[in-house]
Amino acid sequence: MPQHEYRAFKNTFGEFGGRYVAEVLRPPLDELEAAFIAAMNDPQYRAEFDSICTEYIGRPTPLLHARNTSREIGGAQIYIKLEGLANTGAHKINNAVGQALLAKRMGKTRIIAETGAGQHGVATAAICAKLGLECCIYMGEVDIARQKPNVFCMELYGAEVRPVSGGSRTLKDAVNEALRDWAASFANTHYLIGSALGPSPFPDMVREFQSVVGKETKAQLKAAGVVPDALVACVGGGSNSIGFFSPYLESETPRLIGVEAGGRGMNTGEHAARMNGLGKTGIVQGYKSLFLVDDDGQVQATHSVSAGLDYPGIGPQLAHLGSIGRIEFTRATDTEALEALKLFARNEGVIFALESAHGGAAALKLAAELPPSATVVVNMSGRGDKDIFITAREIAPESWKRFLEQEVQTL
Amino acid sequence: MSTTAIMAHMIPYFPDRELSYAAAHGLIDSKVDYLEVQFPFSDPSADGPTIEDACGRALASGFSTARGFEFVHTLVDRGAPPVFIMTYAGIAYASGVKEFCDLAKQSGAAGLIIPDLPYDYDEGLYEAGIAQGLAIVPVVAPSTTPDRLAELLKVQPEYVYAALRVGITGAATELGQDNLDFLDRVGASGAKVMAGFGIRSRDQVRMLSEHVHAVVVGSAFVKAISAAAAAAGPDEPAAAAEAVYSAVETLVSALRPD
Ligand SMILES: Cc1ncc(COP(=O)(O)O)c(C=O)c1O
Repeated sequence: MPQHEYRAFKNTFGEFGGRYVAEVLRPPLDELEAAFIAAMNDPQYRAEFDSICTEYIGRPTPLLHARNTSREIGGAQIYIKLEGLANTGAHKINNAVGQALLAKRMGKTRIIAETGAGQHGVATAAICAKLGLECCIYMGEVDIARQKPNVFCMELYGAEVRPVSGGSRTLKDAVNEALRDWAASFANTHYLIGSALGPSPFPDMVREFQSVVGKETKAQLKAAGVVPDALVACVGGGSNSIGFFSPYLESETPRLIGVEAGGRGMNTGEHAARMNGLGKTGIVQGYKSLFLVDDDGQVQATHSVSAGLDYPGIGPQLAHLGSIGRIEFTRATDTEALEALKLFARNEGVIFALESAHGGAAALKLAAELPPSATVVVNMSGRGDKDIFITAREIAPESWKRFLEQEVQTL
Repeated sequence: MSTTAIMAHMIPYFPDRELSYAAAHGLIDSKVDYLEVQFPFSDPSADGPTIEDACGRALASGFSTARGFEFVHTLVDRGAPPVFIMTYAGIAYASGVKEFCDLAKQSGAAGLIIPDLPYDYDEGLYEAGIAQGLAIVPVVAPSTTPDRLAELLKVQPEYVYAALRVGITGAATELGQDNLDFLDRVGASGAKVMAGFGIRSRDQVRMLSEHVHAVVVGSAFVKAISAAAAAAGPDEPAAAAEAVYSAVETLVSALRPD
C-alpha cells in the first residue's frame, strides 16, 4: 500500500463549518483532529479499514442499471448504487467503522452516538459489538416510536438505547444529549457522530469515511463504460451525499443534485429543506451552516416521513457547495418519496429506505427530462426493511392493521 | 472571609414573564453581587435538564431576544447589580454579533458570557465587546490546556468564568484540591474568577472563597423558582410572585457565609 499524505482536511468551507464549542469540548476535538490526520497517513489504519469494508460491510456494493424503470420512463438511463446492501442496511456503517477504529487507536473504550432513523445507531452498535467497545445510543422518543425495529437491533448488538425526552424529541435533541454526555465523558469516550456535520473535525472525517461510496461508484461506472450526467442523493445532514459526490467536487461535471425533505408542504414545521433560501446562516451544535431557525436564531420544528431527513441543519460543506453552485438542491415530498419507493420495488425488485427514496423520486423526475443517451446515478443510501412500520401503514393500512391485531392477540 | 461575591443565574420568562420579574426583584433586593441573565436557546447543549427545561418553558412563555434586552433594561433601571447576559452563539449570531453587543450595551448590561464563541471562533465578539466597553467573559474548564488558557487570557479579560468540572450545568460538584488549584491558576492572571457548576450550598461557597472573586449559582435558583411557582399554583398569580420572591431570598441567605 502506498504511503498517503492526507491533505484534504478543511475545517471551514467558505463561510461555513468551524469549531464553535465551549472550551470544555476543545481538548477532545483537538485530540480527535490530530488522531484522525495521523490515522489517514497511516497505511496500517487504512488497510484495517479496507479489510473491514470487504469482509464485514460487504464492499463493494453493487451498481444496478435500472433497465425496466429507464425503459418505462423513456428518458435517461437510471443507475442505482445499492449502498443499502451494506451490512446493517445503509451507508452509515462506513463512517461508523472508520470512527470506531479511530476511537480504538485513541484508547477510547466507550462510544456514544445519536441516531434519527436508527440506521446510524444500528451501524454504530454493530461495529462496537464487533470491536468490543461499550456503546450507548441517544435517540429521541419520537424516533424510537417510529423506528422500533432498529431499537430492537441495537439492543441485540448489546448497545444501550437512551431515550431523549427534551426538545422536539427527534434527531437534533439526540445530538444535544450526546454532546452533553461527551462534555463529561471524553476521557474514555468517543462521540461517533453520524452525519457530515457538527464541529470540525467531524464534517471532514465523515466525508472521508463515506468517500468510499463515491470512489466505488466512479470505478463501477468506468468499468461499465458509462459517463454520468448527473448524480443524485438525499440530504439529511449530508453524509451519504457528500461521500457519493466526493470524487467530483473539484470538477465541473457531472451535475450533482442533493434532495432535501419537502415533507407535507412548505410551511414552517412541515418540511426539512434548508437550501434554496429556506434556511438561514446560523450556529447550532458547534458548526456554522444553513439552519431552519427563526429571526432570533431559535431552531424551528421540522417534518419528514423519513426520520433520517428530519433535521434542521445541513452539513457545512454541502451548504458551501450549494452556495457556490457546485451542488444543486431540490426537494421531494413525503408522497413523492413513497411513490418512488413503490415504483422501484415493483420495477427493479429493490426497496429503498424512505430517506433514499427522496433521491429516487428526484432521479425519476430528472431522467424524464433527459434523452435515453444520458445517465443519472442515484445513491440508494439505505434499504427499506427498517421502514416497514411506516410504509405498510401508508401503503396497505387495512391489511397491516389486521396483521398487527393478530400479532397482539398471539403474544 | 465573607467577601465572596455571589452571581445569581436566572432565565427571563421562566416560569413565565411575571414570575421571572418577581425572581429578579427578589435577587436584587437580597443584594446579590451579580446577575447572570440567560437568554434561552432552543438547543442548549451545554446545559443539564433543569436549565434545558426552564429554557423551553421560557420560550413557550413568549421570550424573544428583544424582550430579553427589555428585561435587562428594566432590572438595571430598578438598581440591579452588574448584569451579565449569558447565551449561545446561535442567538447572538442571529442578531449579528456586533448588533447584539450594541443592544446589550444599550440595555445596561455589564458583560456577555457566550461559551460557544471561543476566542478563535468568536465572530468578532471580543472586538465588538471591547469597543462597547462590555466585559466579554471567557468560560474555561478544568480540561482547558495551559496553552489555550494562556492564549485566551491574552485579551486580558476582566472576568473569567471557570466551570468547576467538565460536563454540563446542574449535576453535583465535589470540590477537591484539583478544583482549587485550577482556580488559582486561572486567577494568577489577575482576572476576577467567577466559578460555577454545581454550587448549591454555603459550605461550597466557603470552600471557594479564598480562591475566587465570585461563585455562580444557577440550577439551584432555577429549581427554587420552579418549586415555589409550582407550590403556589397557577390560579394565584400574586401569591406565586410572592412565593418566588421569597424563595430566591431564602436561597441567597442560605448561600451567604455568616
Ligand atoms: C438510509 C439513510 N439515508 C440517508 C440518511 C440521511 O443522512 P445523511 O444525509 O447524513 O446521509 C439517513 C439518516 O439516518 C439514512 O438512514
